[in-house]
Amino acid sequence: MTTTSPVVLSPTDLRSAHEALADTSGPVRISGAGTAADWAGAPGTAPTVLDTTRLTGVLAYNPADLTVEVRAGTPLVRLQEELAGHGQRLAFDAARAGRGATLGGLFATADSGPLALGYGSLRDLVIGATVVLADGTVARTGGHVIKNVAGYDLSKLLHGSYGAFALVTDLVLRLHPVPAAERTVRLECPLDTAAGRAATVLASALEPVALEWSDGELLARLEGTPDGTRARARQLAELIGGAVLTEDDAATAWARHADLVARPAPRDAVVRIGCRPSRLPRFLRGEGATGGLGTGVGTVRVPPAEVADVHDAVAAEGGTSVLRQRPAGPLRAWGRAPSAVRVLTALKRELDPEARLGRGRFETWFGGADSGG
Amino acid sequence: MLDQAARDALVAAVGADNVISDPVGLRSYECDGLTGFRQVPALVVLPRDTESVAAAVRVCHRHSVPFVARGAGTGLSGGAMPVADGVVISLQRLRRVLDVDPVDRRAVLQPGVTNLDITKAAAPHGLYYAPDPSSQQVCTIGGNVAENSGGAHCLKYGFTTNHVLAMTVVLPDGEVVTLGGDSGEQLGPDLRGVFLGSEGTLGIACEITVRLLRVPETVRTLLADFPSVPAAGEVVSDIVAAGIVPAAVEMMDNLAIQAAEKAVGAGYTLDTPAALVVELDGPEAECGEQFEQVKAICERHGCTRLHVAGDAGERARIWKGRKAAFAAVGRISPDYIVQDGVVPRTRLAEVLDRIARMGDAAGLRVANVFHAGDGNLHPLVLFDADAGELERAEELSKDIAELCVELGGSLSGEHGIGTDKACSMPRMFGVDDLAVMDRVRSAFDPDRLCNPGKLLPTPRLCGERPGVYRPHPLEEAGVIERL
Ligand SMILES: Cc1cc2nc3c(=O)[nH]c(=O)nc-3n(C[C@H](O)[C@H](O)[C@H](O)COP(=O)(O)OP(=O)(O)OC[C@H]3O[C@@H](n4cnc5c(N)ncnc54)[C@H](O)[C@@H]3O)c2cc1C
Repeated sequence: MTTTSPVVLSPTDLRSAHEALADTSGPVRISGAGTAADWAGAPGTAPTVLDTTRLTGVLAYNPADLTVEVRAGTPLVRLQEELAGHGQRLAFDAARAGRGATLGGLFATADSGPLALGYGSLRDLVIGATVVLADGTVARTGGHVIKNVAGYDLSKLLHGSYGAFALVTDLVLRLHPVPAAERTVRLECPLDTAAGRAATVLASALEPVALEWSDGELLARLEGTPDGTRARARQLAELIGGAVLTEDDAATAWARHADLVARPAPRDAVVRIGCRPSRLPRFLRGEGATGGLGTGVGTVRVPPAEVADVHDAVAAEGGTSVLRQRPAGPLRAWGRAPSAVRVLTALKRELDPEARLGRGRFETWFGGADSGG
Repeated sequence: MLDQAARDALVAAVGADNVISDPVGLRSYECDGLTGFRQVPALVVLPRDTESVAAAVRVCHRHSVPFVARGAGTGLSGGAMPVADGVVISLQRLRRVLDVDPVDRRAVLQPGVTNLDITKAAAPHGLYYAPDPSSQQVCTIGGNVAENSGGAHCLKYGFTTNHVLAMTVVLPDGEVVTLGGDSGEQLGPDLRGVFLGSEGTLGIACEITVRLLRVPETVRTLLADFPSVPAAGEVVSDIVAAGIVPAAVEMMDNLAIQAAEKAVGAGYTLDTPAALVVELDGPEAECGEQFEQVKAICERHGCTRLHVAGDAGERARIWKGRKAAFAAVGRISPDYIVQDGVVPRTRLAEVLDRIARMGDAAGLRVANVFHAGDGNLHPLVLFDADAGELERAEELSKDIAELCVELGGSLSGEHGIGTDKACSMPRMFGVDDLAVMDRVRSAFDPDRLCNPGKLLPTPRLCGERPGVYRPHPLEEAGVIERL
């Protein structure tokens, strides 16, 4: 099959984003920094690519209200730099942020990092959004206040939508203060030991904001005041028989964790797993596996031939799984379809009746009408 | 009219013992906590399990009968108000805690379980359920899901949506599905999150899995008086600027303080213009350190009295005053309306000043109790219906909610839109925003049988031309734009 290279549209603001969809027809692939290009189902070919990387910048930042509105193509690391100047941050640390991932991309792929234990994921931190539907309709949802129950929360529909429901042009985010201090405790140990110790930590009053198995070691992070975290870190180290890391060693340990998640060897397939936290360890076998022992969210590397087995095993335990790296050839992307796939299909028809957006990402969920190719 | 065939089928679906059809019985379902809106339903069914809920919904779907789910009926926006000739599906007989799992820290609940009973079931394991609406002794988890309810401690811990992992939902055609999952990971878009706060319009939540948190090691609470509302507001801003995230920050103005003190004698100062309740929780050492910081901030802003709760009993008393404030207002006014709106926290002083002026202009008093930490106001508009003040009070109350939108906030922080504010939605959202919401509703409920007439404006409710959209202040400032 011959393919002509697609037309790339790079809107810079809401108006040009609207035009990019309103003035075109046919399938469109929305693309950010490209850090999750082969996550989930393989994107179908599309004559038009909507590139969000010029849709950048902060639109409104109210430090005193701890909210910021930012264009969706802004890389998370850029935003964090700007917020840090005010002693604030988005309490979100998905591993691929370091590779330049955009906020819109992180949101659309429902990504999250170790801090999800303490702060939730972007579905908890996004308080408003502006979106453009496939027909160019611009809609706003939520607002600039943390507490808001007016109308349906449409932003949730875009969280994890892989570009198949609408283009997100701006996000309004809830921020948190940068903690005065943070400390990490490490225990090098086998996975089973880590699982047991993690349970002990979770039953304690030590309140870790992250608690991760990181390929051979258990890492627990505490945030708070300098004195408070020092005292808690000591207690935590004693409780699990681990050691409090220096600032440098902690940074190295967490950077390694992020690399394990976001920079796997190209030959491996990567599967993201979510399940009951107590069941996660049974899926974290193998080299390079990482996982939140409090969140139940893990990332494993497997030879491509074993992807289907992982999907089936996780589904059998009631969990969710999705492919995050596809080394070669067709591989099943999703462990299973969601139970409410009929509602999702109906939503897809309402919001994108011509199935222009995100073809292929959800494989055959929408009756194959958008399976791409 | 609900025809006989549909009636018979509903009785068959839930069993004759679980149906109310006598006029007196039906009348007790005519309204929720917003008693101004009333409608007697044609029939009430009280299913005893998820399968009967689904069976009842399937009958409604087949016979095109509108239905309204109902928990405890404490809602304050007319969300559970019945629909004419429609059926009320009460979840009050689904009250079992199905599972408490201390290892994975979660509980599975039937929808009629009260909010407080979740924490009671979790308590033996040192766990609790965080969202704590003031109505928690009676309101149900199903109602909390529908309204995405909040509470005083939501500033630190988040709202219902941040605590619900998954739900078994009966869709408007009777299909039973699961939304959400065992972890924060999702299979595709977050339908769980779309359902949360959908006010009973997208289906009926039946088995709800919530996260449980470990009870914090320490809780510290103080009550502080201030010479003015703006001074108290500055304290809140300074606490936030210091990087402290308190578990709760509540503010009351003088009128609210007087009412609460009369009702429960919580030890509030009768003549103080404003008071704050600040609560911190967490690990002992840190909590203590930050509590000292909060005290210093209070002193810096001219705090006239600072009382620290010495023990759990004293803490409970401080909270009792705050939580009783709504009802207590009944002691200083024959009638009152509870309003709910949100402004960015930095505009608290401004909104209170405007509310005071609007009250003066209307010749009505307004008492203020609010979740100051997140800018969620609960102005209480006091009036005397016998003196013919109802209409003026309603107008003022509506204007206050719309003022919140004008200041960059929201029509509702926790009580929902329901019947009450549907016609104000065009003040906050543009035509396209509302149309997209309507498309989402169509995907779930194409026949519009599930709590119809709520949440979105309808010509029937609001007239052919509901209030016109006013540009959002950020639009006016050129920060955001609408095409
Ligand atoms: C004194 C008082 C104090 C309050 N304080 C607070 C507060 O601090 N914070 C706060 O957020 N709210 C508060 N509320 C409002 C109210 O208690 C909440 O909205 C609560 O969640 C409603 O629960 P309910 O069981 O009474 O629901 P209902 O009033 O019975 O129903 C509310 C809505 O939910 C729908 N519904 C009910 N059950 C289900 C279900 N299982 N599935 C789908 N839809 C369903 C109904 O159709 C309706 O639209 C207060 C109310 C009162 C009277």
